[in-house]
Amino acid sequence: MNRHHATGIVMAFAWMVLGFLALPAFAVVPISFTDTRYLAMPDEHWSLQHWRAFLSNREWHDSIWQSLWIACVSTLGAVVAGTLCAIGCWRASSRWSERVRTAMILPMAVPTIVYALGIYRLYVDLDLVGSAIGIVFAHTVTGLPYVVLTVSASLANIDPRLEQAARGLGASVGQTLRWVIVPNVVPGILSGAIFAFIHSWDELIVVIFIGGRAFFTLPRRMWDGINDNLDPVIAVVATGMILFTLLVLSAELALRARRPRS
Amino acid sequence: MLSPVPEPLVRFANVRKSYDGTVDAVSALNLEVARSEFLTLLGPSGSGKTTTLTMLAGFERPTEGRIFVDGEDVTDVPVEKRGIGMVFQNYALFPNMTVAENIAFPLRVRGVSRGEMNSKVMRALSMVRLDGFGDRRPQQLSGGQQQRVAVARALVFEPRLILLDEPLGALDRQLREQMQYELKHLHQRLDVTMVYVTHDQVEAMTMSDRVAVFSTGALRQVDEPRRLYEAPASLFVARFLGESNALPATVRQHDGGSCAAALATGETVTAVMPVRCAPGSAVHLVVRPEKILLGKAAQASPNRFAARIAEVTFLGDQTRLRLVAFGADDFIVKLANTAGQETFAPGTEIDIGWQAEDCRALAE
Ligand SMILES: Nc1ncnc2c1ncn2[C@@H]1O[C@H](COP(=O)(O)OP(=O)(O)OP(=O)(O)O)[C@@H](O)[C@H]1O
Ligand SMILES: [Mg+2]
Repeated sequence: MNRHHATGIVMAFAWMVLGFLALPAFAVVPISFTDTRYLAMPDEHWSLQHWRAFLSNREWHDSIWQSLWIACVSTLGAVVAGTLCAIGCWRASSRWSERVRTAMILPMAVPTIVYALGIYRLYVDLDLVGSAIGIVFAHTVTGLPYVVLTVSASLANIDPRLEQAARGLGASVGQTLRWVIVPNVVPGILSGAIFAFIHSWDELIVVIFIGGRAFFTLPRRMWDGINDNLDPVIAVVATGMILFTLLVLSAELALRARRPRS
Repeated sequence: MLSPVPEPLVRFANVRKSYDGTVDAVSALNLEVARSEFLTLLGPSGSGKTTTLTMLAGFERPTEGRIFVDGEDVTDVPVEKRGIGMVFQNYALFPNMTVAENIAFPLRVRGVSRGEMNSKVMRALSMVRLDGFGDRRPQQLSGGQQQRVAVARALVFEPRLILLDEPLGALDRQLREQMQYELKHLHQRLDVTMVYVTHDQVEAMTMSDRVAVFSTGALRQVDEPRRLYEAPASLFVARFLGESNALPATVRQHDGGSCAAALATGETVTAVMPVRCAPGSAVHLVVRPEKILLGKAAQASPNRFAARIAEVTFLGDQTRLRLVAFGADDFIVKLANTAGQETFAPGTEIDIGWQAEDCRALAE
């Protein structure tokens, strides 16, 4: 009886927290259907006019495209570098590799604005502000910690004897990596890739600093839109972004559910 | 003409291994493994068995000394170039591969063609009696089945040498005995050399051609199981293999392979002395419990003493007596349960004795 009561209270509290966390994000959904000319809830009836405006706007399309390819390329970079780093640290497993791993996670721990300032200073000297390479590189580095963390977690579950067994059966270091180690950390790599992708997909601060005049990713164009004119198209874009992120996240969840765990 | 001495398949020459630079995990190891031999490394936990095996496999490098396989110095040859099959205690099967893919792995890394690979994997599967299990995942097999996959994987590329580190440690007793039999059988059928690690003396005795006994990093004795049991060269080996009665004594005089030694209680005993000790040195007189003669039989033996029965335990195939003798109460006698064997009651005074060749004087 009493136990039941307590469980009920805990559950209610959990749902409240969840609602508090998640619901504000969804406030943009009704706003995107507003019939007003500014960011507000629908006044008299729901309207698709801003969705239509969004679909016919070249600038938004360019931004989507830009955000997508930057996210894809920097995810690729983060996955390759992060996986290799995690595997290297795992194999070496010394005090030094522990330090390297900590250093790799640093971009996640440092406040983004501090990091962005630093990278801006550096890019001014290197003449990389407003360049594709510059942005992809910055997003690769800031996406790296996600991959290092998830791949390291996967590696921690691997029996170190597997590597010994593979080598003992005649596999070179490369063959062992390719056929034994990497296949066993694929779930970690995919999770890391998804997080790195989402990270780049909605990263704003670094892009503001180093995007220059050429790079208006989705988050940056929204930011500018909010500052200049409270155009409800922003709510449309935000709704789209939420849907897309949810899609990617549920892919990650599905992946995790399929993963057999011993 | 002298026939040439056959070159051993494996030779450890003065091998020493220290992990931390202060303590030796293995010291001054000289050991040979003959072709087609089943050699077991036996010893208590931490005695250096695994270290010896991993140095032979190539996972660890000796701190000192050389290791030869087939006459070739392999001390600096990397693991994957040694062509040695290895079976680990926890099997170490690849969870991302099916049973067949696991077994095919050593062939795959050697670039064996598809057709040949398939037929070899099939043959290996039936060798360990797992036909039809090829498409399963290792996680879907029982412990004994996983063990057999690990063995098949180590056999499939026909290595000259197979190393097994406590491969049956995780199995229950019945399965253990069955797998012991199967491994032994495979060894005979394939004519392969096996080096086996265990800390179970019964397992070592039943499976091996020879047993190498280790303690704290030192090889104490290597011999056939029977000789190891009948003629231990040290007190450690005598105590580690089977039961024995060990009586502290002092050497009085020695003569070739035998000696006269005085027990703490005053009696003088004649015993075999495999390793010569100077008069005055302390030894233990070791007699196996089943070699003790009782009653009339004892009266005819050269070493005869008085004792009292403290406890009688019936064990089915044998009876075990605990006696008070030589000022202690832990002298053990084992009697085979043969027809007409007389029965004993606790409290009875009885004569005990043994033949001189059944008693060995061994230093600590
Ligand atoms: N990787 C290692 N690093 C440091 N010391 C080690 C390492 N492996 C073994 N040792 C030490 O070397 C000694 C011998 O260990 P080893 O593993 O060879 O014993 P073992 O005979 O196989 O014992 P067990 O029956 O418990 O497996 C032990 O004292 C152990 O603590
Ligand atoms: Mg061991």
